[in-house]
Amino acid sequence: MSQLEFCIHYPFTSVAKAALEQSGIAISDRIVELALQRIKTALKEGKVAKSSALHDSEKIENIASYAAARMILGFSRNRFLINAYAVAESKRASDYLDGESDEIIDKVAGEFNIKTEEKNGNLLIPVHIYLKYSPRDVHYRLSNRELANGYVKLKSRHEKIRLIEGAIKKHMEKIPLVKSPPESIKIAAEKLKEFLPKIQRQEISFSLASGEVPPCIEKLLDSLKKHENLPHQARWYLAVYLIGRGMPMEEIVSLYSNLPDYNEKITRYQLDHAKKKGYAVPACATILTWGLCCADCKIGSPLNWQKLGKADRESLLKTGRRI
Amino acid sequence: MNDIDRRIALKFIAEYYASAEFNIFQIEKREFGIGLIKKIDARHLAFDSMEGFRKYLLTNTPLFVSHSTAYYEFPAATPIEKKSWFGNDLVFDLDMHSDGKYGVYHKLEEVKQDAIRLVEEFLLTDFGISKKDILYVFSGNRGYHVHVRDKNYLDLCSDERKEIVDYIRGTGLNYENFFDINESGRIIGPRPDEKGHRGRFARAAITMLEKEPVKLSRVFSKDEIRNNFITGVREGNWSRTSIKDIISRLKIVADTLLLSTVNTDAGVTQDLSKLIRVPNSIHGETGLIAKIISDINNFDPLKDAVININKNEAKCIIFTEDVPEIEFANSTFGPFKKDEKKELQLVVAIFFVLKGSASFCSGQ
Ligand code: SF4
Repeated sequence: MSQLEFCIHYPFTSVAKAALEQSGIAISDRIVELALQRIKTALKEGKVAKSSALHDSEKIENIASYAAARMILGFSRNRFLINAYAVAESKRASDYLDGESDEIIDKVAGEFNIKTEEKNGNLLIPVHIYLKYSPRDVHYRLSNRELANGYVKLKSRHEKIRLIEGAIKKHMEKIPLVKSPPESIKIAAEKLKEFLPKIQRQEISFSLASGEVPPCIEKLLDSLKKHENLPHQARWYLAVYLIGRGMPMEEIVSLYSNLPDYNEKITRYQLDHAKKKGYAVPACATILTWGLCCADCKIGSPLNWQKLGKADRESLLKTGRRI
Repeated sequence: MNDIDRRIALKFIAEYYASAEFNIFQIEKREFGIGLIKKIDARHLAFDSMEGFRKYLLTNTPLFVSHSTAYYEFPAATPIEKKSWFGNDLVFDLDMHSDGKYGVYHKLEEVKQDAIRLVEEFLLTDFGISKKDILYVFSGNRGYHVHVRDKNYLDLCSDERKEIVDYIRGTGLNYENFFDINESGRIIGPRPDEKGHRGRFARAAITMLEKEPVKLSRVFSKDEIRNNFITGVREGNWSRTSIKDIISRLKIVADTLLLSTVNTDAGVTQDLSKLIRVPNSIHGETGLIAKIISDINNFDPLKDAVININKNEAKCIIFTEDVPEIEFANSTFGPFKKDEKKELQLVVAIFFVLKGSASFCSGQ
């Protein structure tokens, strides 16, 4: 793989940054337009398109479009746009990594200080790195992992790539603020407004005032508000809970549009499915094993929250314990 | 507690603070909280040196003083977003609830054993943290704190810390996943020489087989069967003697692995803004030192965490409730009855007063 090719695949690396600087390319209107397209595809499809650039000049433009996209987002300061874009860019990189040699994978991993070791045929990774970059998903829970001497055993090369994807996403979420960019960047940021989620929690008519829902649901709603990505079980649990509480479907869809990888069609399909099946809200014990319980309510099922007194509820939300 | 009680207790605590040894890592990066009535009445305090901190304790002696497990560029700034966070120690809080005010003191040994297991089995062995980065501290009342200062864990966020606590408590751990059945129908499972949860599980099973075999199955009371089974387990073969439903029977072994005294509920480990009692400060509900422990195995809180000054001073107290017999500072006290008057060594008197079981006699 040529150096330039590497930079196109992984525009967030220091190598790519250096290549861009060396090329001397300016942030022209054309680049900003490409950047805008890049972000729009990310928001619409949940993934950034792979590059089909043939000539070196096009390749440099592709890398520059990434840099400009970061500027647009850095100027917009919008959490939803930034997080949604981070998900999409990290998926693109992860797709590339799937077909890459170990050497390239390690080169990208090195950007984030991810170092794995092979010992007796096992792929090992330091636990603090594992915790930082693994998805909060049942499959990756530390409890069910082999951990020794500070290293977690990975089950496959794919898991390693998934961790790198997590690192890229985290990196993308930390975007430097851009204060006074060229006019074209400002205009581009303005154009992204139509992609913002339709509704925020505070505008929802259905009563979900603080104190009305148990701490675990409160936390998920809070994550939504911050446009954080939720693992599968969390989405499912929240949906089943809200359906169970009688929240209108349209409002749940609007709420879910806060997710950085929101896709209206899929969301509607999944919600309709959950509603039709009439799934029961899981017991606290199940929620605990998913890593989503965050208080010791002692109520067996989250649906019993309403039966608790006001003082207990307040104490649980604040300290995680009943009074 | 009335004003006289508080005045006498605070005077004594201040005397201790005059020469107490503190060892607060990066004191200038920590937020402090103090309490006179509640455990924390005021927070967002900061000190740029140990001298400044001590001076504060001597002039405004509080009943409780705690510092953040977090490090900030501007620890006194409010709101919290302005503090500029850059990391947290990894701190564990272990305690136990029990009936009555004094019941817990009989259980402190149990909590201590859990703290030792937390460090030896989990932090050192599984997490690979080095001993020099770990501090044992008595909480000053009903349990222990374990502070870890390893830079690898410094910038973990709350969810990531929760994964650590869940691992240690075994939340979400499904021991049945340890077992497989191979082609010849053998149950293949963990070996005692394996690391992590698997090895711990196999070792605990062998211990149970050796000490309380019938808990698993009555057939294990026969030496031959039991030993044959254990030999198999050592090699990872859990069906050398075939026992019906052996996997589900092993649940009681899995239950012994849980370190349930490690608190998750109150979130000391995962709440990044938590304040924790300053090591070597006084716990205002007991007058005991939240002592930094150098020899955990021989540590006895009701002896080693007792303030060791003004030993000859005694004061009269009057009990306001019944108190059971208790071992304290190498002697046995009580039981005491409500309204009983007693002249006791100052540090002992203060213990009962701060526990809310007595008041100083008037005229002192
Ligand atoms: S105890 Fe139940 S209701 Fe409370 S936070 Fe945990 S899962 Fe939610």
